[in-house]
Amino acid sequence: MNEEQRSDKLSAQNVSVMFEKDDKSFLAVDDVSLTIQEGEFVVIVGPSGCGKTTFMNTFAGLVRPGKGKVFMDGEEITGPSAERGVVFQQFALFPWKTVKENIEFGLKYRGIPKEQRDETIRKYVQLIKLEGFEKSYPHELSGGMKQRVAIARVYANRPQVLLMDEPFGALDAQTRTIMQEDLSEMFLTEKRTVLFITHSVDEAIYLGDRVVIMTARPGKIKKIIDITRDNLIPDRRRMRYDEVVSLKEFLDLKGEIWGLIKAEILEKHIL
Amino acid sequence: MARYWESLGEKIYQEKIILSISSVLGFLFLWYLITDLFGFMPAVVLPSPEKVFFTIYEKISVPVGEEKLFGHIGVSLVRILVGVGIALGLAIPLGILMGWYEDLDSLASPIIEVLRPIPPIAWIPLAILWFGIGLGSKVFIIAIGVFFPTLINTHIGVKFVDPLLIKAAQTLGAKDKNILWEVVVPASIPLIVAGVRIGVGLGMMCLVAAELVAASTGLGYLIMLGGDDLKPELSITGMILIGILGLIADRIILGVERRVIYWKKE
Repeated sequence: MNEEQRSDKLSAQNVSVMFEKDDKSFLAVDDVSLTIQEGEFVVIVGPSGCGKTTFMNTFAGLVRPGKGKVFMDGEEITGPSAERGVVFQQFALFPWKTVKENIEFGLKYRGIPKEQRDETIRKYVQLIKLEGFEKSYPHELSGGMKQRVAIARVYANRPQVLLMDEPFGALDAQTRTIMQEDLSEMFLTEKRTVLFITHSVDEAIYLGDRVVIMTARPGKIKKIIDITRDNLIPDRRRMRYDEVVSLKEFLDLKGEIWGLIKAEILEKHIL
Repeated sequence: MARYWESLGEKIYQEKIILSISSVLGFLFLWYLITDLFGFMPAVVLPSPEKVFFTIYEKISVPVGEEKLFGHIGVSLVRILVGVGIALGLAIPLGILMGWYEDLDSLASPIIEVLRPIPPIAWIPLAILWFGIGLGSKVFIIAIGVFFPTLINTHIGVKFVDPLLIKAAQTLGAKDKNILWEVVVPASIPLIVAGVRIGVGLGMMCLVAAELVAASTGLGYLIMLGGDDLKPELSITGMILIGILGLIADRIILGVERRVIYWKKE
């Protein structure tokens, strides 16, 4: 395995986040440290309400950590930036804008000239296979199409880091598989640093270089599993999803990760 | 099958129209019954429908006071348009700024909360004192009526824009100013238009109230004059025309609404 020299892209140092709700404050994220290298695809899994999204939002600059610091390229993150694109769980498309205008949104603020914007939009509309829907409004699209637009909108903006919060959670199984394969393919052609949240262990192993397992609230890191260790499934990103998930190596990893999550759920009685 | 449903739809639609027309005709017939046919109501209390229609027809060419019928309609129309225009021109920008800048909200809200519950009609004496009995005082009363509902809806619309959309815009690189104009304002348009609709309805009430009190022209004046001169047909003429004016205004706003919120789910 060729170990190229990689630099730290994102890093969280002893990050804790407190939340206020109904006059009670609780700890959502408890002393989490994590470093993600450039070009790495890291997936976080964990029980519901474990603070995964909150932790990701500190990287996005949408939540300020109460304690600890988050960095990108060694510089402290103090607010949102176009360099850290976010794909939200609920799509967050602008409903009064067409598919084209949604994808164009970020490009305008980057000062990219019109012709170049049009070219970029064409490219990404093609990538998400929505040719002919450029002038459609979000309410005219299916859930899977909307999510693809949300991904294209962030991709087209060429952020250095992609933060994806359960982007496929709302999709049916078939669409989800297609989207996972698309993302895998896009990750190969448009190499970026990705932090991805999911409930699905299968998805985590299929997409991630490393899988971070978080504990139930307050969210801590329970364990980090390196999917690329010993080059277990070397070409999984070029393989079809249903091929990968039936490999013996895949099933072993799945058993290992599930065991950890299950232990967490049983231990904290959160069923 | 499709054709069956289509023709059924057509049939229901036709039945609806027939029902609507019969209800209007029925109403007129009932009116005719109690006035002309049985004479329950003397003409000096409730004139018959044909007398009202004749009055409308007559007043098109014969002046009432200073103006003929269309003159009175025109005067009322100018008052309502100027009043609505001024109110929207002030309420929408102020509502947007109050919804966006919390300091301005804290600054302006106490005054607005005290002024808002005062019925616009209560301003009539001051309006006459300040602006005389000309166009100014009527426009002022109408503008007060339109201003508050529009302001409140705009304020709420801007303040409660889905925070997720704002977050999405921020992480795509939009700055605060861009977010206000490109995200917050478009997202609040449905509520703003709803506020305008309520405001204009209230504005029509204010128009009549202002014209009843101090005017020698306009549809409110006709209504008032009918009472003073014991000519109820004149009052009813004014009322019918105000009703039609209000209906047209509402339909126009509805049309605008459909155009600006094309992106909302059906």
